[in-house]
This record gives sequence, structure tokens and C-alpha cells, in this order.
Amino acid sequence: MPPSDSGRRDILRGAAALIADALLPRRAFAARDRSDNRNRAIVVTFGGGVRWEDTFAPEGWPNIPHLVSELVPQGLFYPETRYEGLTGHFNATGALVTGCLQNVDAYGGEAPTTPTVFECFRKERGLPPEETWVIASNKSFGLLGGSKLRDWGDPCAANVILPKQFLVEAVKSAVSTDAGPGVEDRQALAERMVSALDEGYEGFGWRVHESGRALGKEVRTSLARSLLDYFNDPLVPTSGDELTFFMTKEIMSRLAPSLVLVNFWDIDVAHFGAYSLYLEAIRRTDRLVHGLWEHAQSLPQYRGRTTFIVVPEMGRDGDPSGNGFQNHRSGDESCRRLWLLAVGAGVPRGLVSERPIRTTDVAPTLARVLGFKMPEGEARPLVELAF
Amino acid sequence: MSAPTRTSTAADAASLLRAHRDLLARLPVTFRAFIGVEAEKWPTLFAPERAYLGALLESIARWTGPELVDVFAGVTRLETGAGCRAVRESDPRRLQDATQALLRRQGLLPRWRQEVDQVFRRLQPRIDERLYSANAPRRLVVVLYGQGIAIQRDRLWRRLRSLGTRVPLRLEGAQTSEAFLHALFRTSAKDTLFSALREAAGRGPHDAWIVEAGESLHALCEAGASRGGAGATGLSYARLRAYREMLARSLYQKVLSGVSGPQELAAYAREMVVGPPQGSLLHSDEVVRAFIRDVFLAGNGTLLLNNTFVEWASVQALKRAEPRLLVARFGVRDKMKPFSSLLLFSSPRPTDQVPILEDPFGSFVDVEQLSYYVWLNAEKSAAYRGKTLYLLLAEGVDEMLAIRSDAPRTEPGELPEAALAEVAATMAAWVGVPLGASSARPLASLAG
Repeated sequence: MPPSDSGRRDILRGAAALIADALLPRRAFAARDRSDNRNRAIVVTFGGGVRWEDTFAPEGWPNIPHLVSELVPQGLFYPETRYEGLTGHFNATGALVTGCLQNVDAYGGEAPTTPTVFECFRKERGLPPEETWVIASNKSFGLLGGSKLRDWGDPCAANVILPKQFLVEAVKSAVSTDAGPGVEDRQALAERMVSALDEGYEGFGWRVHESGRALGKEVRTSLARSLLDYFNDPLVPTSGDELTFFMTKEIMSRLAPSLVLVNFWDIDVAHFGAYSLYLEAIRRTDRLVHGLWEHAQSLPQYRGRTTFIVVPEMGRDGDPSGNGFQNHRSGDESCRRLWLLAVGAGVPRGLVSERPIRTTDVAPTLARVLGFKMPEGEARPLVELAF
Repeated sequence: MSAPTRTSTAADAASLLRAHRDLLARLPVTFRAFIGVEAEKWPTLFAPERAYLGALLESIARWTGPELVDVFAGVTRLETGAGCRAVRESDPRRLQDATQALLRRQGLLPRWRQEVDQVFRRLQPRIDERLYSANAPRRLVVVLYGQGIAIQRDRLWRRLRSLGTRVPLRLEGAQTSEAFLHALFRTSAKDTLFSALREAAGRGPHDAWIVEAGESLHALCEAGASRGGAGATGLSYARLRAYREMLARSLYQKVLSGVSGPQELAAYAREMVVGPPQGSLLHSDEVVRAFIRDVFLAGNGTLLLNNTFVEWASVQALKRAEPRLLVARFGVRDKMKPFSSLLLFSSPRPTDQVPILEDPFGSFVDVEQLSYYVWLNAEKSAAYRGKTLYLLLAEGVDEMLAIRSDAPRTEPGELPEAALAEVAATMAAWVGVPLGASSARPLASLAG
């Protein structure tokens, strides 16, 4: 007999419990005392890519009510933002975190070729891994936390967590042992859960490339434990991005890292050709971005000292190119024209800068905000922000 | 253009390549690979595709040596930079894979695409001139919203409304799908518009297409079909379910067995030998079977979403088969299951507790965009541009939008009320089919 919905939650709770160390004090990883006034930065991407016309063009405003009505008035908006690189997910976000256009395997099989902000930050300051995080719905982002350069990479890369894969592992672990929760048809359940989580919008056969730097056991345990609470919530999440949202909040609350990149990715459902699902995902991302901003304001470690940057990974094809919103292959103007919103510490309120900028400018901006050096490149910090 | 001909074989392709051997040797390697790959697919190409390949080579051949160097200079420069010209490979597919990989590795693929676009900007007018004469036959594209889609009247055909003429309709009892389709497409007790077109113009089944989410139009064509079948090439997402599931299972098994990435899986998919089961198609031949396989394997959501299938297959049919008549009939999409936005490949299992629910409101948003793309893509082609009547209808809805691409609208876009029989007569008149027993008259301002 198949499990009921509540049974399903039991399974997931059990899965998380199996991974969690029962002896671990509940708040062992509660954020350290943050009486210091160090700056923090959170970058959130509209991963998958969105078009100007579906977001900040007037006809797109209904899709982003939180950005338009609540965050833009508090921040600095750049409507002339461009991305000139390869229009694939890994390379586009790679450019964002390195300040350099990347040309590596489009499906995440190679790390970036130039240092990431995470490596530069940690190396210069001698910071522990828990200070920098990549939390990504896109399962090909396993190698985004560090570059492939000698003397860089894993020793100073960011922690990378792919929440859906994390949950897949938890489910697999739960059903692979007799100590797991009692269910009938254990194998069928495992297949169903893994299938439900193992999605890729753009094509078939994506692999998950594990970051060489595994999460510390205690951090991993603590995060797995947090899944317990997650699935106890009556508002059981309905998308991968909501899981990413939850994980991000957990990491912020428990570890208070200084630098976080959050990649939402439900928007890439556009590849399947359902415009309504694409718009729905934009609206969800808008809501989750606002939720993260609110969460940051609720935490003393973040409130008043966090620069929050929201930017699309890239655009998507214009209607005359190929099959329009479904893809991001043409490299046309619609793929290139983006926007960027900065809000929070050091950001002037309620301003629009018509100055053309590039998404690669995010990396040197983060370096200025957090006070570390990036290798010289073409990208420039956003000078409108007060550092 | 697609009148029945003898079966075209690989020997015809070889003959074409032989005739242009010297020219091929002077072309950039990526172009040569492309032409070689297309020639290899010859037995599965539609007649317009074969004609296109011939016209392409003949048009290039008209350039002098220095002109040829000038036209392809940008492509050649990028190929040299990427090392493509050093590739020694006689198999066109492997040559294409190798050169594309080199361009990709150097980050030159977008610029290469731009350069290729530049070449075609100069080449395309020559090709169009050879293939599409000014007196080429008129074409008809009908886009139908199936019953169940939650139509919002104030937003209906929003993207296209300014281009067309609104026609209020008298449904006269044809509120259901069956009655509506019957009124539009059945020309007599035995014939449909599709079979009548075949008989009137001596056309093959590749010249009239039905692409639908459900199967009502297929059923209509089969009912009373005589004298050589339904007369159309028909693709029904519903009827192809078993085939879709078989493809999905095969791919999923391959994924589970381990693949290095999408390129490897694409290569595996190319080698799969599977076809739609008997009885799932209105007309089945090697070319159509290969077409369907390509639609499922190359269109991202076509295995999963009915309306994506309808749009992508329609656009591909317009591009490749250039039918005189195409009907794209959308339907209601299923809702996505909780948590996973979509379940790739997986069919519902007995243990799956989440019922399948329809999404009539989301479907309306989807088909508004997708029907716009059908029109947009058709108008990109010289076969349709300036010689096509587009009719957009929603089953059970008492209005229609008509767009004549040869006569851009210059006056207020509304006609007097018309009966469905008059719409049927208009369609028949537009494609030159006798009206049969019907006493209805075509709408003069549309069919004239």
C-alpha cells in the first residue's frame, strides 16, 4: 500500500533523522557571536535567466510585485545591466562570481578558470569554509565554489550545497538501511522520491559534479537535522527553489556566513515550453528573494550590515529568435539585457542609475563591500555604493 | 512542391554532392560538414528540404571565386582560429561534432553563429528566389484552442489581435468540440478539408498536417475516410503516448546507466531505433516517423507537455514540410506535481499518490504565447510570408481572428457575424478546394 502524504513526510523526516547525529546538541552550530560590525553580502540570482519584458518592463511588473513595490524603493536599481558571455547557466554565474567571462563546460563539469570571490575572500582573510556559501537549485553548480587554478580551488573554495541533491542523498540513505523508517515497498518509494527530485530543465543526462571540498561532518549533520523542521511545516514546499530558500535561511541563522550566493532555478522550467509555469516561477522567485531580504533583516548578524544584490543569471531569447522565452541560445539582445538591484548596507535608497554596468561588476563590488582584493580585470566595482 | 514523387534515395544525395564536388572542397569545413550531414539524412527529408539543399548549393555555386572567399571570410577566420581546418575526418557527422566541439571550447560558437547568419543574409534571397515564385500557392494555417482551456475573452489572441480581423461567429449549436470541428472541417459525408485538398490538388499527405494535443481531429478524419485514407499527416500527442513513454524509458535507463553529459545522451538518442506503433498515425512513412522522433528528442518539453508538442511539431512542420494546410490544435495541460516542477521521463507509478489534475487557466496563458510563436515562425519562411491566411479559433467560442499575411490590415478589424459553415467555405476557397454540397459562401474579404 502506498504511503499517504503524512506518511511521505514521515519518510523524509526519517531520512533526515538518519543522517543527523542524535547526540549533536540542537544548536551546536548556532551562529557565533556577531558583535563585530563586519559587512556581509548576499547575492541572489534569478537563475535560469529572465527577460526584461517579463520582469522590469511595465508589462512584467505584475510578475515581480515584491521587487517593484518593496525592494526597488529601498535600493539602487541598474536598468542597463548587460551580460556579454556564453549564455549557459554555469558560465553566466561563473562570470558573476569571478568578475571574468568564463568558457568552461556548460554543464558544470569544469571549475571556473579564474579565482572566485569566495577563494579571494577566504584566502586573504584566512577564513574557515563556513564563511562563504553557494546554495544552488541548479544541480550542475557543484564546482562553482572555487576555481581550477593551482594554489586556489578546494582549500579556499566556498561550501557548495545543492539542496535537492542533499535531500536525494538523505532519502537514499534512509531507504538503504533496516534502521530506516518502516515502509512497505521501500524500493518503489526510493525511486519515486529520487525521480521527483532528480530534475533538469534544459536537457537530459546532467550529472552532479561533486565539489572536491566536502561539507564538514558537523555542518552536514546540522543541515540534515534542519530538514526535520522543514518537513514538519504544514506548508510543505512545492518546488526546488523553496527548498533552496529554506536551506539558505538555515545557513544564515545557524552559521551567519559573510558571503552567500543563492541560485534559484525554477524559472528554467521555461525550457519545457509552458509560459504560465515560467511566469509562475518568476513570481515565486520574487517572493523568495523578498523573503530572504526579510530574513536578513530579522537576524542581528545581518541587519544593517548586509549588502543584498539581486540579478538575473542572464536573459532569455526574444520572441523573434528561435522559440522565444523557452531558450537562451541565440545570444540576442534579449539574452544580454538584464537589470541589477542592490539594497542594504552602503546602498543609496530609491535611486536608479542609468550607467551601463555588467554582471561581471558584481565580483569586484563584493570585494569592495567585504574589503578584500580581486585580481585586476575589466570588471569594475559599482561606484554608486558607499564602501 | 510536395506532390507525390518517387522515393528519394541516398543515391540522389550522392549524385547532388558529386555534381558540386569542386564547390564543396572550397567551402568552410563547418559548412561542408553541415551539407554532408543533411545529405546523409536525405531519405528522411521532406521534399522541400531536399529542394532547399539543392537550391543552397546552386546558389553558392553562382558566386565567383573571390565572392566566395569574401562571403565566407568571417566563418573561415573563426574556423582557422579554433583549429577546425586541421580536422581530418571524412564522416560528416563526426566532422561536425569535432568542429563544433573546437568552436565551443574556444568560446567561438556564438560568433560563429553570427557569421553564419551573415552568410545566410546574403544567401537566403537567392535561395528564396529559386524556390518560391510570386505565384506560389496560397497557404492556410489554423490554430485551434481545444475545449476546456479557460478562455479569457478580454485577453484572447492578445499578441495577434492588432494584426487581424475579428469575426463574430454564429455557432448554431456547435458548442462541443465534435460539432465545432465537424462544422469547420467536414466538407461532405465522406470528405474532410484534408482529403478534399488531396483530391483537388493531387497532393500527398505531407501537404496537409494536423498536430493536436488530443485526438478529435484524427477521429474526424478517420470517420468515413475513403479513397486513400485521411489525406493528411497527423500527429496526436494523446495517440503517441505509448511511443513517448517508450522513448522516455529508454532515455531514463541510459541516464541511470551513466552518461558523461547531454552530448553523449544526444548521440545515444540519435542511434535509437524506435518508432510509433501501428495505428497511431494518420499517415506513416519513413520521413514522418523520423520527423516525430526528432520532435520528441530535440524539443525540450515535447515529451512532457502536450501544448509544447503541438507548437514545436507545428513549427517544425512549417519549416520542414511546408504544408499548404496546417491545423494546430492545443489542449489542456496537466498541472505540475508538487515539489518536483516536472518529472522527467517518469510516468505515474502505482505508488504515486498525487492525482493528475488539469490546468485550464495556465493552459490559456501557454497557448496564447505558443500560438503567437506558430504565427511568428511561419512568417519567417518565404513559403508562408505574404501568401497565408491564418485563422485562430477557440472551440465553443463565438468569435474568430483572421490574419491575411498578403493584405496587412488597414481598416477597423471587424467583419459582420458569420456562420461556421462560411468559415469552412472560406478555408476551402483559400486553398482552392471545391465547396462540395455546402451552400455556404466564403467570406469575401478573407478569401478574395
